[in-house]
Amino acid sequence: MTNFVAEDRIMQAIFSLLVKEFTLEWRQKHSFGALLLYVLATIFIVFSVIKNIAPDVWIALFWIIVLFASANASARSFYQESGARQLFYYQLTHSLNFIFSKFLYNFILLFLIGLLTWLGFIFFSKAIVRDYGLFVLTIVLGCLSFSTIFTFISAIANKTPNGSSLMAILSFPLMIPVILTLLKLSAQACRLMQDTGYVKDIIILLSINGMLIGVMIFLFPFVWRD
Amino acid sequence: MANISNTWAKFISIGKYIGAGLIVYSLISGLLVPLKPGILAVEPVTLDAGKQSVIHVTGYNTHFEEGKELSAFLKFNDGTFLESANNLVRSGKKMDIAFHIPYPLPFPDRVSDAVLVVNSPEDGTMIKPAAVTVRQAVLPVATEMDGVFLKDAGKLHVHDAWSFPYRGILEETIRNIFYHVPLWIAMVVLFVLSVVSSLYFLKTKQEKYDEIAVATTSIGILLGILGLATGAVWAKNTWGQYWSGDIKQSMTAIALLIYFAYFILRSSLEDDVKKYSLSAVYNIFAFVALIPLIFVIPRLTDSLHPGNGGNPALGGEDLDNSMRLVFYPACIGWILLSLWMSDILRRIIRLERSTQND
Repeated sequence: MTNFVAEDRIMQAIFSLLVKEFTLEWRQKHSFGALLLYVLATIFIVFSVIKNIAPDVWIALFWIIVLFASANASARSFYQESGARQLFYYQLTHSLNFIFSKFLYNFILLFLIGLLTWLGFIFFSKAIVRDYGLFVLTIVLGCLSFSTIFTFISAIANKTPNGSSLMAILSFPLMIPVILTLLKLSAQACRLMQDTGYVKDIIILLSINGMLIGVMIFLFPFVWRD
Repeated sequence: MANISNTWAKFISIGKYIGAGLIVYSLISGLLVPLKPGILAVEPVTLDAGKQSVIHVTGYNTHFEEGKELSAFLKFNDGTFLESANNLVRSGKKMDIAFHIPYPLPFPDRVSDAVLVVNSPEDGTMIKPAAVTVRQAVLPVATEMDGVFLKDAGKLHVHDAWSFPYRGILEETIRNIFYHVPLWIAMVVLFVLSVVSSLYFLKTKQEKYDEIAVATTSIGILLGILGLATGAVWAKNTWGQYWSGDIKQSMTAIALLIYFAYFILRSSLEDDVKKYSLSAVYNIFAFVALIPLIFVIPRLTDSLHPGNGGNPALGGEDLDNSMRLVFYPACIGWILLSLWMSDILRRIIRLERSTQND
């Protein structure tokens, strides 16, 4: 019975922190609007420069835009919390609830960005994706990995004086294996290649995520504490 | 605790000599032991069934002139052998072999690859895969060729002296395995040590574990750069260019980027305690992200590296006992030497920190 109550409390804490994130986001509508404008402007520039886009370039540009938009989006997640407010959260809740709410919030935000970027790509160029289910799954997996890595790295980078530039340096090398796998999966969803073993790639992404989330749970208290 | 560090100091002080000795041994024997004799080139490469064909064979490290019982065969895909009609030795490295290929061949293929097998008591059995292509005309050919197809090539000879395998494409560069691969193995050992000491740091908050982590990571990066360089020089000879964007090359470059980022993170932090614990956290996180990078993805993707995608492998019969005699000592030697190097670096860091604190 006690266990059940404890679990219930954790879920409740994470949920209320998540609601807090969305409330904050709603209060600062300008920053979300800035993010949308960022994505839209980038897509517009890309398709003004390249008229006839090849499918593999389409996929590569899609993921690069999503990557940079995600980096921008999740870099904010710890910056809007001042030192005093962090101390307040520290007293209020367990560190894992905190990181999980950040992680979930980033995941939902990045998934939205991914879908919106896709819409923008469809609007400005031709529809390239053939297997919609697989492509949405790829976006989900990609945003899951992006939010795991970016959430954790921004927590580290937040502790440093020049955090925003350090964020890119620390996280982009970690992203490369994820992006390579995502490119393969997207090529499969666009029928650019016929690889029967794409389930293997999904398993790789899931296991990378699983490991990184596990390490995040283990390591975040050390980042949080000092 | 003092006991452990005493044992460690003793281990390092003996280990550095053993390591240096093993590396010198691997350098000398790895460079001086010759390759097994092999067939370098065959010309012409296309033969016709029903005609007498003479092929000019160029050997590598061969001693054709001493061979009294030289025999040569063409081995076809269905496992049958055709013995040569006449072998004319020109020199130690040059030989002309005449084949009387009858028409029809015992199999219906119009075009079929054949393996050239040269069997000599001095040089052992030399094999060149897909050495020639034998064509078979559609219309019957009137022929008096008397070659007979055999089930096996008789007694094969073995080259006894200590020598490394001869492999097409790799040839003399096969020796790079003694200098390139041990660097990677030592690098992985150091990175594992570094992660373990980062974990200990987070657990105990003792400064010495941070020193070990920094020292092993630095030496690990040095070994990584050396490994990349030795690989690039080898690739220039074997693949034609220093950088081919091969999956293992890219993954290594990413790994080095991650560890450079580790040092940038350290240098951007002023406060010591914060610096040590944050860099320990990043070290562990980066290592976990590296696991798929180094151990999983290269195995699932085609690579130009030996052992991948149908290239000559460094496992199985390619890493034979003659090479193990050099390869394993080289690995142990590099691990010991790099441990010694990181121990020196750790002591330097220790001294610098203690002078700063005074």
